[in-house]
Amino acid sequence: MTVTAEPLPELAADALVRARPANLWRDTLANVLRQRSAVVGLTILAALFLVAIFADLIAPYPPNQSMLDLGEKVSRQQPATLRPCVHALGCAADRPQHLFGLDGNLRDEFSRVVHGSRTSLRIGFLTVGFAIVVGTLIGAVAGYAGGWVDNVLMRLMDIVLSFPSLLLAIAIVTVLGSSLINAQLAIGVVAIPIYARVMRASVLATREADYIAASRALGESSTGLLLRRILPNSLTPLIVQGTLGIGGAILEVAALSFIGLGAQPPLAEWGAMISLDRNLINAAPHLLLFPGIAITLTVLGFNLLGDGLRDALDPRLNR
Amino acid sequence: MSRSPRWSLLAVFAVVAIVFAACTPGATSPSPSSPTATQASQPPASTEPFTGTAYPESGEAPCGQAEAPSGFGKYTGEFKKITAQDARTVVFELCSSDVAFLSKIAFTSFAINDTGWLESKIDPAKTENQDIVSMVNGTGPYSLTSWDRGSQIVMTANPNYWGEAPKSQTLVFRWGTEAAQRLTELSSGTVDGIDNVAPEDFATVQANADLKLEPREGLNVLYIGMNNNPKVEGFDNSKNPFANEKVRQAIAMGIDRQRITDQFYPPGSEVATHFTPCSIPNGCTGDAWYDFDAPAAKQLLADAGYPNGFTTKISYRNVARGYLPNPPAVAQDLQQQLKTNLNIDATLDEQESTTFIDNSDAGRLDGLYLLGWGADYPDVTNFLDFHFGSGATDQFGDKFDDITGALSEGAAGADDAAREPSYVTANNAIRTHVPMVPVVHGGSAVAYRADVQDTHASPLGNEYFGVMTPGDRSQFVWMQNAEPGGLYCADESDGESLRVCEQVTEALYAYEVGGTAAEPALAEACEPNAELTVWTCTLREATFHDGATLDANDVVLSYAVQWDTQHELHKGRDGSFSYFPGLFGGFLNPPPPEE
Amino acid sequence: MIRFIVRRLLSSIPVLLGVVLLVFILARVIPGDPCRAALGERATDAVCNDFEARYGLDQPIPIQFGIYMAKLLTGDLGASIRFGRPVADILAERLPLTLELTLFALVFATFFGVLLGILSAIRRNSPVDVGTMIVANLGVSTPVFVLGLLLQIVFAVALRDTILSMPPSGRLAAGVSVVPLATSWGLKDLDGPLRGIIDFASNMYLFNTLVTGQWSAFWDAVRHLILPAVAVGTIPLAIIARMTRSSLLEVLGLDYIRTARAKGLRERLVVVRHGLRNAMLPVVTVIGLSLGAFLSGAVLTETIFNLAGVGRTIVEAITGRDYIVIQGVTIVIAIGYLLVNLIVDVSYAFLDPRIRLT
Repeated sequence: MTVTAEPLPELAADALVRARPANLWRDTLANVLRQRSAVVGLTILAALFLVAIFADLIAPYPPNQSMLDLGEKVSRQQPATLRPCVHALGCAADRPQHLFGLDGNLRDEFSRVVHGSRTSLRIGFLTVGFAIVVGTLIGAVAGYAGGWVDNVLMRLMDIVLSFPSLLLAIAIVTVLGSSLINAQLAIGVVAIPIYARVMRASVLATREADYIAASRALGESSTGLLLRRILPNSLTPLIVQGTLGIGGAILEVAALSFIGLGAQPPLAEWGAMISLDRNLINAAPHLLLFPGIAITLTVLGFNLLGDGLRDALDPRLNR
Repeated sequence: MSRSPRWSLLAVFAVVAIVFAACTPGATSPSPSSPTATQASQPPASTEPFTGTAYPESGEAPCGQAEAPSGFGKYTGEFKKITAQDARTVVFELCSSDVAFLSKIAFTSFAINDTGWLESKIDPAKTENQDIVSMVNGTGPYSLTSWDRGSQIVMTANPNYWGEAPKSQTLVFRWGTEAAQRLTELSSGTVDGIDNVAPEDFATVQANADLKLEPREGLNVLYIGMNNNPKVEGFDNSKNPFANEKVRQAIAMGIDRQRITDQFYPPGSEVATHFTPCSIPNGCTGDAWYDFDAPAAKQLLADAGYPNGFTTKISYRNVARGYLPNPPAVAQDLQQQLKTNLNIDATLDEQESTTFIDNSDAGRLDGLYLLGWGADYPDVTNFLDFHFGSGATDQFGDKFDDITGALSEGAAGADDAAREPSYVTANNAIRTHVPMVPVVHGGSAVAYRADVQDTHASPLGNEYFGVMTPGDRSQFVWMQNAEPGGLYCADESDGESLRVCEQVTEALYAYEVGGTAAEPALAEACEPNAELTVWTCTLREATFHDGATLDANDVVLSYAVQWDTQHELHKGRDGSFSYFPGLFGGFLNPPPPEE
Repeated sequence: MIRFIVRRLLSSIPVLLGVVLLVFILARVIPGDPCRAALGERATDAVCNDFEARYGLDQPIPIQFGIYMAKLLTGDLGASIRFGRPVADILAERLPLTLELTLFALVFATFFGVLLGILSAIRRNSPVDVGTMIVANLGVSTPVFVLGLLLQIVFAVALRDTILSMPPSGRLAAGVSVVPLATSWGLKDLDGPLRGIIDFASNMYLFNTLVTGQWSAFWDAVRHLILPAVAVGTIPLAIIARMTRSSLLEVLGLDYIRTARAKGLRERLVVVRHGLRNAMLPVVTVIGLSLGAFLSGAVLTETIFNLAGVGRTIVEAITGRDYIVIQGVTIVIAIGYLLVNLIVDVSYAFLDPRIRLT
């Protein structure tokens, strides 16, 4: 779906890694803040995090609360009653205010979109986190062990990459059963090879570096070397790739939810919300628009930040 | 100029060539997209004297067989013998009386095919993928011109049609799963009529002067199923709340069915007073369903030993049907209501469609579940016996003797009046035992462009497009939910296929346009004897699209290939012929039962 | 060079085998009953037992795999459980549409992506540049399904009866048919692989109508492809635009460009002849890498625009538990995708000699 979820060629992964080891965190931060896109991205994300953290305060209703239970005179059969009602914009004062209107189950759409931010952020971080952990492990082992281990592991990664990502994810979810966890797992699995490649390239690049040779001469164990020397030096490309990956993961999980394989009702997840009320597109198009905008903004935030990070952390790729 | 497009083009072409070369040798079947026009390959009607056939050729089917012959199951069907008495007369001998016989033979699956066509388009040596699945030769108002797989089916008016000539020269079928998408097509003027308008769009359609809405009566029912003894490994039925009749009754009166109907169903839907819709004779005899009464329901629940409710799940499948246009929305509302009215915590359990049906049939659903039923033919047996009769599945667990007894009594009754007392008993017993809660008879609607004349919607879902005039256009375009599986409707069971067949092929009887009454079609009439066990049908003069003439032997063979599993032409798309045993009780030479 | 290609080819063989095994396993462990999916909800157990025996579904899984591999090696992809038709036939009908959609989207994305990229690069920091980059960033972040649904509503309904009106879904207008190539070329009786290839090409409606001059059908097919292609192509377009811009900016900063400028060559010439040629290398890579995105996008877009391509086929096969179709289509897509990647790699090595050394 997105380039960020697509594999980097080994070349590009190499290039990301050949950047100098990032040990100047303060400079880096300053560098990041000089990037216009990073600042915009950070701003969007900061707002998003605030919304997610304070969702219960911001949302006027619980996300699964039906207005029918509160006795509101609304009906899905009269789509006009689902439209947004904002008092400031001239909506009759005797009607309860619903900023984004009501969804197909007569729930407050604004509350659901707000709560959806929690779902999406959790999806993004968990999915990519899983992919990074597993991918890093595989890449590190492959790069460090070399030989047939390397060969087998990387061919395995090639197999995963031989499918268009969404297709493989669909197949995995179908096997595991439709649920948000499984959708995340599937998207995570599909993303593993990217991080495995980044990590492997990074290990290969640093393995022969002088300071590693020195540590080895000093008798540090292989695991120790990996954990204390090589991994920290691979963090830069992993962070850049991971940030970009979060946006991709959110998009892909939303796509899975849209075709009914991801988040299950009544959970407020943006893709699932669009899917659930898809047939209301003629009668109540706002039910498509608001969650759609929410997804776009979130993904945009991560992409901009990722771009900014890459430019800031990796002068060679600085454009 | 960038080199990229050329490179990628090359790449893709190379892939196509390689991949295709790899998969063609095994596939030397006829061109997949070539038009499947029916050509006049048939010799002109011969003048030879008519030799009538019969099935079985000698003897008759073993009615009410007590013992299964080795290698087969017991014969449970209702046909005894079918005979072509002369070129225009067919006699159906039945094992027992059947008041619904005419309704059944009007069903699309029992359309009459030409003998020559059946023999040439079904190859006894092949198990499936018979030519007859994609080519069709009927007597109907339209003949098939082409089936462009995946996109459309095109038909042309039959100039030799015996009945009233169709109003449009060309008829096109298209399909799309999403209701909103179909409406988009209709509003953009690319199609003339669409099936199943989304309930929320009724207002949109009515407000649009270019469109018109035709409501379709709901010959269906949505119910909330409960199993009193699920067949789940290691399940402790003493802890199953639904084993307790009081709990089932509590659910029966603790759900605001009116709210569900008002919110999620279009106008024309009715809260179910009985399982069977009222427009079916004897459908809603007996007492009406419980009124919504949350406090009383809560009291019942407390009496049953669940004063604080319990936890369960609501299983459903996300497949839109006339009885359930929006499964997740209804499931979520039910979830809310259970919590609010009865303090029952239910989690939602969406299952894949066929898995769900399998689980339900095998009695493996141990919570509440949302399922429904749409009429195949307008008789109460099609609703009640299938669900609550002695032959029903385990979907509700153990059966209730008073229900099954009343149903078998009712099925044998000679006419609707004589059957009534049995159905009063049966319906009242269902109300007492509550194997399920009937919720709503869902109305639906089709929509047409406003300039289409003589439109209708059929309660059985079989609209006849030949009677509609699409404004000043010569082509009528219909958009339905899905592509047909095949066009040999003897071996099809979904409405999307049946509706296509209905334009091309005809059975002895047909349902009236926009209604459910059976009226003569290829038969001028079918007359029963006094016991309703022998039906004599007189055929009308008709020719098939390929020029062959209809005769009584065509009728015998069309039924025989479906009836007898050992007939060498008992083959089609997959050979299941599921409607035949469904309506006529069973195949001849049925497969042996599972041990 | 040849050694590189051979090595690359050899290394993809185990991957290919892995793909086949993975697809087979995935298709087998999908829960659900293929019999009732194929024969309908009301099929009896007896009918289903018979059905399973017929498809070998009652055999142990390893034996099923053996049978499957043997058939696969002879080019037999099996027959669909639901339709009873050979998978090769289904592919011949449906793959052409997906290829056409992908190619159309690819051309769209590449053309506008490169164009916008160049414009932003040579007018760096101008409103054109800023606008392009904003659109590009939004493009990458918008879900395909949201974009598709919006395009449908805007162009098919809101702009109905204007010159911008587009058909909302489908491949051709109702009643419009395309004459198969075999018919137009008088090859109806031809059989065998060549016929297969001709039928395949015949189902590429744009190609077919173009070579046989069925202009109204051609135009109709193009109009039906525009909206889905925009939906599929927007994300790659945004990526290509960004890559072109940054790559061109980098190249334009290099010494030899400065030399060219110093020689007094016209700016346009400098950009086109010297800059662009060298800036295209990473762009080609990005296009190759986007093929996965195109195919993934096609899955969603075909569902939304009601196009019977392989994307929708596979989704339908999964819901219908049609193992044979799932296997056949996935394997063909995976093999195709693998080959395209191979070709991209090789062409990259061809364009950039440095690669061959690594």
